[in-house]
Amino acid sequence: MAGLHRIVLGVARFMALLGGVILTALILITCISIVGRAVNSGLHSDLVMGIAPGLAKWLIDDVGVGAIRGSYELVEAGMAFCIFAFLPFCQVTMGHASVDVFTNMLSRNVNRVLDFLIALLFAVALVTIALQLYEGMLRKMPNGFGAAQTSLLLEFPIWWAYAASLFGAVLAAITSVYVAIVRLFELLSGRVIVPNAVGADH
Amino acid sequence: MSNLEIGIYSFPALLLLIFLRVPIGLAMFGTGFAGFWLVMGSTRLPLAQLKDLSYSTFSSYSLSIVPMFLLMGYFATLGGMSQALFKAAESWLGHRRGGVAMAAIGACAGFGAICGSSLATAATMSRVALPELKRYGYQGGFSTATLAAGGTLGILIPPSVVLVIYAILTEQNIAKLFLAAFVPGVLAAIGYMIAVSIYVRVNPESAGVREPVPYADRLRAILDVWPVLLVFISVVGGIYGGIFTPTEGAAVGALGTGVIALVNGGLTWRTLLDSFTDTARSSAMIFFIVFGAAFYNLFLARTRVPQELSNWVVELGMSPIAVLAVILVIYLLLGCFMDSLSMILLTIPIFFPVIMALDFGMSPEHAAIWFGILVLIVVEVGLITPPVGMNLFVINAMDPETPMVETYKAVLYYVISDLVRVVILVAFPAITLFLIPG
Repeated sequence: MAGLHRIVLGVARFMALLGGVILTALILITCISIVGRAVNSGLHSDLVMGIAPGLAKWLIDDVGVGAIRGSYELVEAGMAFCIFAFLPFCQVTMGHASVDVFTNMLSRNVNRVLDFLIALLFAVALVTIALQLYEGMLRKMPNGFGAAQTSLLLEFPIWWAYAASLFGAVLAAITSVYVAIVRLFELLSGRVIVPNAVGADH
Repeated sequence: MSNLEIGIYSFPALLLLIFLRVPIGLAMFGTGFAGFWLVMGSTRLPLAQLKDLSYSTFSSYSLSIVPMFLLMGYFATLGGMSQALFKAAESWLGHRRGGVAMAAIGACAGFGAICGSSLATAATMSRVALPELKRYGYQGGFSTATLAAGGTLGILIPPSVVLVIYAILTEQNIAKLFLAAFVPGVLAAIGYMIAVSIYVRVNPESAGVREPVPYADRLRAILDVWPVLLVFISVVGGIYGGIFTPTEGAAVGALGTGVIALVNGGLTWRTLLDSFTDTARSSAMIFFIVFGAAFYNLFLARTRVPQELSNWVVELGMSPIAVLAVILVIYLLLGCFMDSLSMILLTIPIFFPVIMALDFGMSPEHAAIWFGILVLIVVEVGLITPPVGMNLFVINAMDPETPMVETYKAVLYYVISDLVRVVILVAFPAITLFLIPG
């Protein structure tokens, strides 16, 4: 069980880091876009247009200095991927906010049963979410009713973004099923495999 | 059972689940699903809602500000700015009675200007300030309580993750909310410093004294905090000046604090990966609550509970201020055992329509902003109220020699300071709103 736990934790951590890399990329894209937009409006200003119209025109039209086209859409699609990629790690490290003042008064065994029931409910919820996200993705794909839905500016098919998110959603679902099984095992065997780190951090 | 009844009974059901330690996002999702099922008689509609709801919540452009602010906070922690801020505040205030504690408050306020999270602010400043407080003979409980209270400035002073969530829930302008939070945030810092000076007068043995620092050194210390100022002004100024959207501002802030951390040597490969996993954990937690709340609110809207409740409150004919007071007290009570974001996501969809239905003698936008700032303050009080103030736990854990009871005793001064400030802000809305046109 400990070996399995290392694998699940490793995959979840990898996804969290991958999400972090994408998040960083989104931050950089956004910042570059701001700079491009600022420089572009500077080049359009009367001053620059008066002094060096040729250079300004060249920079704007040929080099393409300006806001990154569709950066909003990239942030939206990328952020959905990030959050779904973050979920497995939050799941396996018990990162969800909960209230434990009242359950602390209950016995250890009652708490074990609660741990299992909560993990079970979470597994049902995340499996449902992943399945419905899959259904949602199918509706965005080209089908009998017409072509695939695309985004407004970049015109990439929306289902691509759904598919990327689905990757994290499925891993989150698998992780939550794993946690439920661990809790059941703990309940039956009386051993602790994954400590229950209750609490929110923000 | 009528739809309205199902909606009303869903509250106790939801609270029961939360008290049984069901994670708050999951509890809201589960209650929402069960409620939908009961109202519609089948699972077809709630399942259909789910086809897009998770993706649309997680891909929300305005919400994407949250992971960026979180990452910014972690980078700020790594950037060594906490040291510079404390040193600057300490050189100006340290020689006064209780001055080192005041400096800790001031440094927390400064750190709050580049960090949108209370716990991060409290934990980061503690690492720097606790040893110094001890060195100058400040008692344990007083020190830990001071930092726990100072940490709440992380959220009161913009940027603030809680305020972003409030803005999105109530469809208010984030830039205006940030601006409105500024003066109350500064008042909070001043109020805490007054609390310090009262505390050291009541308990003279609780703090030591030290010699003043020469003015040349003070000025040099002030100059060392310029990166904080630069980041704060570009983020908040840029958002308010309309140069960029709040999300873009958060990206600029994350990049800025990241660069500072890189230059100061705090950002290494290892700490970068840790920042990623910390951001991942907090973001997933927050977004899952937002998602659960969105789903629960879809169900609530169908039962018409929010409208009926606000109609009912208006018909009661209570004075608006009395209703506001009741709501704020509910937050204070909830805050004793629930974290601030969960409270906001749980209650704003219900309380906000009530507030908007009442006449406070100001424009709806002003009322929304004013209420937002008041809620922000009262939910933050929850972080330092016994028995389960999150900040108290975190700081106390960093100083194992100090018994929790000592922290509890000292933190009362700060809680009272918070309550006085809430009363002042309720009595004089202009303090919050004078910067906001309209």
